[in-house]
Amino acid sequence: MTDIGLIAIGAGLAVLTGAGAGLGMGIATGKAVEAVARQPEANGKINALLILGLALTESTAIYGFVTALVMIFTMGK
Amino acid sequence: MQTPSVGKLIAIVLSLLVGVAALVLRARIALPAKDDAAYASIKKKRKRFMTLGVLSLWLFSGLLLGLFRTESSKFEVSISPTRMELFGFSVSSSVVVAWIVMAGLILFALIVRIFVLPRFRETPHGLQLVLETAVGAVSDFTKDKFGRSNEGLAAYFFALAALFLGSAFVELFGLRPPTTDLTMTFSYALVTFVLINYYGIRAKGIGGRVQALMKPNAVIFPFKLLSDIAVPISLACRLFGNMLGGMIVVELVYYALGAFSVGLPAVLGLYFNAFHPLIQFFIFINLSLTFIGEAVEEPA
Repeated sequence: MTDIGLIAIGAGLAVLTGAGAGLGMGIATGKAVEAVARQPEANGKINALLILGLALTESTAIYGFVTALVMIFTMGK
Repeated sequence: MQTPSVGKLIAIVLSLLVGVAALVLRARIALPAKDDAAYASIKKKRKRFMTLGVLSLWLFSGLLLGLFRTESSKFEVSISPTRMELFGFSVSSSVVVAWIVMAGLILFALIVRIFVLPRFRETPHGLQLVLETAVGAVSDFTKDKFGRSNEGLAAYFFALAALFLGSAFVELFGLRPPTTDLTMTFSYALVTFVLINYYGIRAKGIGGRVQALMKPNAVIFPFKLLSDIAVPISLACRLFGNMLGGMIVVELVYYALGAFSVGLPAVLGLYFNAFHPLIQFFIFINLSLTFIGEAVEEPA
């Protein structure tokens, strides 16, 4: 296996963190929709909390993305 | 400029003619009154002519611009921006673009201060209403998270938000936004880290701040220390990753469309340069204020 091949495999493995993030965000959005359906007048607060929670959860996927980028761009020759 | 082949020349002229003809024909079909029987069908016909005209003119502009293209067949994006020489220092393009954004913001602030502020009235409307709403929102938000009203902190975060928004906006002009540079976002996060510790030490003293790290039990001191250090790193990486991802997608669209990227990237820019950065900046400021508030809060 060549050098760049191993880097590519490593980068691909790093981006797998997106799966967990997507799953978590989907569950969170589902719960938020349920909460709004239960109590429509709390729409604004639930919306704000949802956006905050989604952006924080997405950061784990972004960590994987940044790791993969750093691998691709700085580990080659 | 490459000399076009006969077929391409015919395509250019034809698309121009079809586009102009479609728009002229659309202008000549008058729209009747709203309750007329033929209103819906005439509106649909006008819309069809508009679509045809816009598509045709887009083709024309793409074909015409394609004549001027130099061959750039590789897709390049690098994680660090280009560096340039300035008075003996080697600065990256992010710093220069940030200076440009800052110059624009300072100019805007000076103009507002000198010309607009003396003309403010008791009941606001227009620009005064927008400014008052924005300043009030940031001030209330800071007071909400920090505990007391702190005008200096609110002013800092307002300026930071303005700088972020300007940085995202310059991508529409083709410059690489400074927030896609890890060093820039790390500097912003470092300032937040300094602010957290400054307010924490001012509120509780150095001893109190270290005590807060040992809160339930002294054993968890290294873990809390690590998570405290991870805060600015996570802030920086989150902002950098999101902005770089958006920039890569827009660059890919430019690369895929080639000379035909006339109207479409601006529509994409509505999401990637306005909405997505806005959410990320809001998260950055929100988290910074949350951590600052956490550092100064009195133990319940």
